[in-house]
Amino acid sequence: MDRASKGGRKVLIIGYGSPIRGDDAIGPLVADRLQAEGMPEGVEVVSRHILTAELVADLVEHDRVVFLDAAVDGTPGEVRCRSLAPDASAMSTMAHFLDPRELLAWCETLYDKVPETFLVSACGSSFDYSNYVLTPTAEAAIEPMLEWVRRLIEDPLVMTSG
Amino acid sequence: MSRTVIIEPVTRIEGHARITLQLGDAGEVEDAKFHLTQFRGFEKFCEGRPYREMPALTARTCGICPVSHVLASNKACDHLLSVSIPPTGEKLRRIINLAQITQSHALSFFHLSSPDLLLGWDSDPVSRNIFGVMRQDPALAKDGIRLRQIGQTIIETLGGKKIHPTWVVPGGVSEPLTREKRDAMLTLIPEGLDIAKRTYAFFKTLVPKFKDEASHFGNQPTMFLSLVSPKGHLEHYDGFLRLKDAQGRILEDMVPPHEYERLIGEAVEDFSYMKFPYYKPHGYPKGIYRVGPLARLNNVDACGTPYADVALAEFHMLQESGPIASSFHYHYARLVEIIYALEMMERLLRDPTILDARVRARARSNRYEGIGVTEAPRGILMHHYRIDDEGLITWVNLIIATGHNNLAMNQSIRQVADAYVDGNNLQEGMLNRVEAVIRCFDPCLSCASHAFGEMPLAIELKDATGRVVDTLRRG
Repeated sequence: MDRASKGGRKVLIIGYGSPIRGDDAIGPLVADRLQAEGMPEGVEVVSRHILTAELVADLVEHDRVVFLDAAVDGTPGEVRCRSLAPDASAMSTMAHFLDPRELLAWCETLYDKVPETFLVSACGSSFDYSNYVLTPTAEAAIEPMLEWVRRLIEDPLVMTSG
Repeated sequence: MSRTVIIEPVTRIEGHARITLQLGDAGEVEDAKFHLTQFRGFEKFCEGRPYREMPALTARTCGICPVSHVLASNKACDHLLSVSIPPTGEKLRRIINLAQITQSHALSFFHLSSPDLLLGWDSDPVSRNIFGVMRQDPALAKDGIRLRQIGQTIIETLGGKKIHPTWVVPGGVSEPLTREKRDAMLTLIPEGLDIAKRTYAFFKTLVPKFKDEASHFGNQPTMFLSLVSPKGHLEHYDGFLRLKDAQGRILEDMVPPHEYERLIGEAVEDFSYMKFPYYKPHGYPKGIYRVGPLARLNNVDACGTPYADVALAEFHMLQESGPIASSFHYHYARLVEIIYALEMMERLLRDPTILDARVRARARSNRYEGIGVTEAPRGILMHHYRIDDEGLITWVNLIIATGHNNLAMNQSIRQVADAYVDGNNLQEGMLNRVEAVIRCFDPCLSCASHAFGEMPLAIELKDATGRVVDTLRRG
C-alpha cells in the first residue's frame, strides 16, 4: 500500500495551461501522463485550461495539492518545485483566470483551511501555436516533473527549490 | 478647458477595454466611448481550414465559454450537412448549453458584480473585490463557488474531456449518455436549485437599494433581440428570432435564424475593434438593440418551468409596463435564467428518451453555406460559414453577443457618465459606476474582439492637448 493511502492523505494534482500554446501545454500533458500511469488510491489528477473559481471547492477537500505549470522565467527545460502559500495580493485582474496563490487565499478566507501546496514548473522555450506538442527541451522536462510529483505523492516532507 | 478621462483597462470583465470620457470646459461630459483595444481576427485565419475543424478552432475564441462557440459552430456545420440531428442528440446539446449558462451566470453575479452590489460603488476600492465579499457574506461566496462547480461538473460529465471537450460534433453528439452519468448529474440539480432560489430571494432585497443606479444604468429605449421557441417561450439552443421595440411591440417574429442578414447589419467605427451590429430596417446607429438575459426575458411570453415563471412574473413587476428598460436589471434576469437552466436540465435529464443510443446523424457537406445561431450566456451568438467543393472554409462571419450589445453599451456609458461624473471633482466611485454599467452586460471581450494580454489599471485625465493632468491607479 502506498504512503498516501496509508496516511489517508488526499492528494490533488492539477496540470494547467493552454494545450495549443506550445510549451504551455506541459502542465496538462504531465497530468495526462500521470492519469495514464494510474495513480494510487487517494490521488486525483485533473487538467485545466485555466484556473477558475470553482476549483477552490476541490482544493479544500485535499490535504496536499500539486500544481503543474509552464514557466517563462529561467533556463528553458529547467524544472523547479516550490511550496505555495495563500496570497490575496496575487489577484488577477482578468475575470476568468486565477493565480494558484489566490485560490489558496480563497480557501483560507472562506474555509479556514489551506492544503499543503506545491508548484512544479518547467521553463518553456516556445509558446507559439502548437497543438499538444512540446519543444524537445520541454519534452525532456516531463520525466523530471513526473519524478517531483511521485516524490510529492510519496513523501510527507519534501525539500523544494526555487 | 476640454479634458478626456480614460478608464483603462476596465476591470472585472473578461477581456481588455478602455473607456474615454471627453469633458467640456465646465467639467460636463461631452462624449463617452467604449473602446475594444485588441484584435485577434478569427474570421480571417479560419479561412482555408476544413469546416469540420471549425468547432474546435472557434472554441478557442474564449477560454470560459467554449461550449457556446462549439454549439453555434456545430449548428453551422449541421446546416452545411443539411441534416436533422436525432432528438436525443439535440436534448443532450441543450443540457450542456444550460450547464454553460449556469456556470457563466454564476461567475458574473457572484464573482464579478457582487462586490459592487454587496459593498457599494463608493466603498473602498481596496476591499471592493471578491475578498471583500467573502468577508461580508461568506455563505454567498461559497454558494457562488458551488454553483459554478455544479455547472462545470455537468459540462465535464457530458463532454468527457476537461479541456475543450469535443463531444458535440456536426450532426449531434459523439456518444450517448450512460445511466450512471445521468444519475450523477441529477443528484447535483436540487442543491443547485436551492442555491439559485436562495440567491434570487436575496437579490430581490437588494434591488430597492439601487433605485438610483437602476434609473441611470443604461435605462434607455432600445429594441431587444433573442431566440424564442415556437410557442414564444424562453429558448437558449434553437428556435426563431424575435425582435421587440422599446414599447414591447413585436417588430419581427418567428424569423428563421439563417435569415439573420435580413435583420442585422454590421457597422465599424475607427475607435474600436468591436463591430457595431444594428437592426437594418432602422439603419445605423438608430437600429440599436440589446441581447442577453434582459432581452430574452423581455421577449418571451413565458419561461416554461415552474419557479422561473414565478420569477419572470416578478421581473415584469420591476416597472409598470413594457419591456424592462434598465440594463441594471441584467443582474436580475441572470438569476431568473439560472433557476430556469437548472429546472430545464432536470426535465431533460428525466426525459425517458435521454439515454437513447441514436445521437448523431452522419453525412458529408451538402451545401456551400451554413449558419448556426444559439443563445450564449451573454446573448445571441451567430456563426456563418461558406465552404468550397473540398469542404474548405472560404469565408467566416461571427457575430458575438457582446458585439450585439456594443451600441447599447456605448449609450449606457454616456448615460451613467452624465449622471455621475463631475470632471471638476473626480471621485473613484463615479468612475466605478461607469465601469459597473459595462459589467451589467457581462461583456466577454475575448469573444467579441478575441483579445488577450496583461491588465494593469490606470485612469488618466488628459487635457485637450493630450497632456496627462491627473492619474488614478488601482492595484
